[in-house]
Amino acid sequence: MKIDELSFEEALSKLEEVVKDLEKEDISLEDSMVKFEAGIKLSSHALRKLNEAEEKIEELTRSDDGKLVTKELEVNTDS
Amino acid sequence: MTARDTTNSKIYTVSELSQRIKDNLEGSFSSIWLEGEVSNFYFHNKKHMYFDLKDETSKIKIVMFYQNNRKLIFDMEEGLHVIVNGYISVYEKRGEYQLVAQDARPVGKGSLILAFEQLKEKLLKKGYFDTELKKKIPLLPGKIGIATSKGGAVLKDIVSVARSRSDNFHLIIRNVNVGGLTSASELCEAIDDLCEYGVDVIIIARGGGSLEDLWAFNSEELASRIHSCPIPLISAVGHQTDYTISDFVADLRAATPSVAAENVMLDKKKTVLDLKRIRSRMEERLRSRIRLQEGRLGFLLDRKYFRDPLTLLNKAYQDTGELSRDLSDNIHLVAKGKRLDFRYHASRLDPEKTAARINSYRLVLRNTGMRWNNSFLKLRDNRKNKLKSCLTNLEKSNPVAILNKGFSIAYDDSTGKAIKSIKDTGVGKFIRLLFKDGTARTEVLEIDHKRPEIGKKSEDR
Repeated sequence: MKIDELSFEEALSKLEEVVKDLEKEDISLEDSMVKFEAGIKLSSHALRKLNEAEEKIEELTRSDDGKLVTKELEVNTDS
Repeated sequence: MTARDTTNSKIYTVSELSQRIKDNLEGSFSSIWLEGEVSNFYFHNKKHMYFDLKDETSKIKIVMFYQNNRKLIFDMEEGLHVIVNGYISVYEKRGEYQLVAQDARPVGKGSLILAFEQLKEKLLKKGYFDTELKKKIPLLPGKIGIATSKGGAVLKDIVSVARSRSDNFHLIIRNVNVGGLTSASELCEAIDDLCEYGVDVIIIARGGGSLEDLWAFNSEELASRIHSCPIPLISAVGHQTDYTISDFVADLRAATPSVAAENVMLDKKKTVLDLKRIRSRMEERLRSRIRLQEGRLGFLLDRKYFRDPLTLLNKAYQDTGELSRDLSDNIHLVAKGKRLDFRYHASRLDPEKTAARINSYRLVLRNTGMRWNNSFLKLRDNRKNKLKSCLTNLEKSNPVAILNKGFSIAYDDSTGKAIKSIKDTGVGKFIRLLFKDGTARTEVLEIDHKRPEIGKKSEDR
């Protein structure tokens, strides 16, 4: 599976595996380097996912013809 | 003993008495409260309820018709200790009486609490609370659906928490009236809409309140809707201490709406930090792995060849140099020996015979050379060249060749011997000079034992 297509959670769980593998005592240097590279890619992907969405608050209602529609909703949290 | 005297006594007919009893009972017990334990409970077609109320010694038949029992919020059931309100009704055809219940309440606790406990027990048996059914709440849901009152403090709390944790989130709010009688069905509809629209997680939320206020979240209707919801759902109702049925059925119970927001909103700063920490952990791990390998190779790396690869190269150069010097020295020695040999032999031969013999040598060499394999061809050529140069040298020592070069040779005229030194002649002696194209007879007039210095001749004189 391509790293770019992973969800945030999938990336994290794969990252967890990579870290576990890296901490094995019998891992070879070559494998270490391969795992390390994968780990860096996975963590970069997770960071990207973290920054993906913009803040957006919408209200879900039904239009007159019964279709679901969303419109922006202002929620003031300053006070 | 007197026998029964009927003369002064009224004799009733069955109907008359029945009517009298009916009038008396129904008149005296038109609205009473009766307390007892439910027994022989029978819920006919889920419409009318028939049961007895009993104590240690007695029991009374009770009927509770549909129009009355449908208002009960708890389930009437066997063994329940209740008080019922109603009236006595006599059924003359059978000579029976019963209490027609219009209302009922549990004894010892409120109806709502009882109802809550009963529904909880029922859904538990149905498996609605099984932990293996619980769906995992996504760590970083793209769209977060929230069913709550859009003007309430609850939504503000949720949004505040969201904003404090990240600037990347997408909330879909579905407005519902979270109090009142219609609330349960409104909540169900909201869940349906959010599912249809497509969100990654649903939060149903309201603030704290009395058991009555939160009642919608204790309804079986909402419970079964939550149970069948395909999207992970968080129930966030009331305060820390408030538990509702929806809390038990939901995939996750959040103690408060704010906590629910924390459950679906990753703390961005912390997560970024965590990811960085994981990175440095991996880096450290790789470094230590490399260090381990270095340790294994250490004994080699410590050697000067690895510390300074040039030493190895220099040594190779040195070795090669020495070897090639040895080789060329050897070759020179061999060649020198050969040269000496030739010189020795050549000196013993007179030019003509030498030439003839050399010719025959050349032939022999050529024949021999033809038998040599390729690796010796070069050596043979060298020797041939050397022979050639020897021949040339010999040629040059031929007196005739010297004359040809413009030199002359001096002979003593009387003895005919070549004059090689000044001592071979004297003043008054005659010398015959040989030129390339003739001879001259001359007389020695003067002797000078000084070595002739060709370049300084005129100055010396």
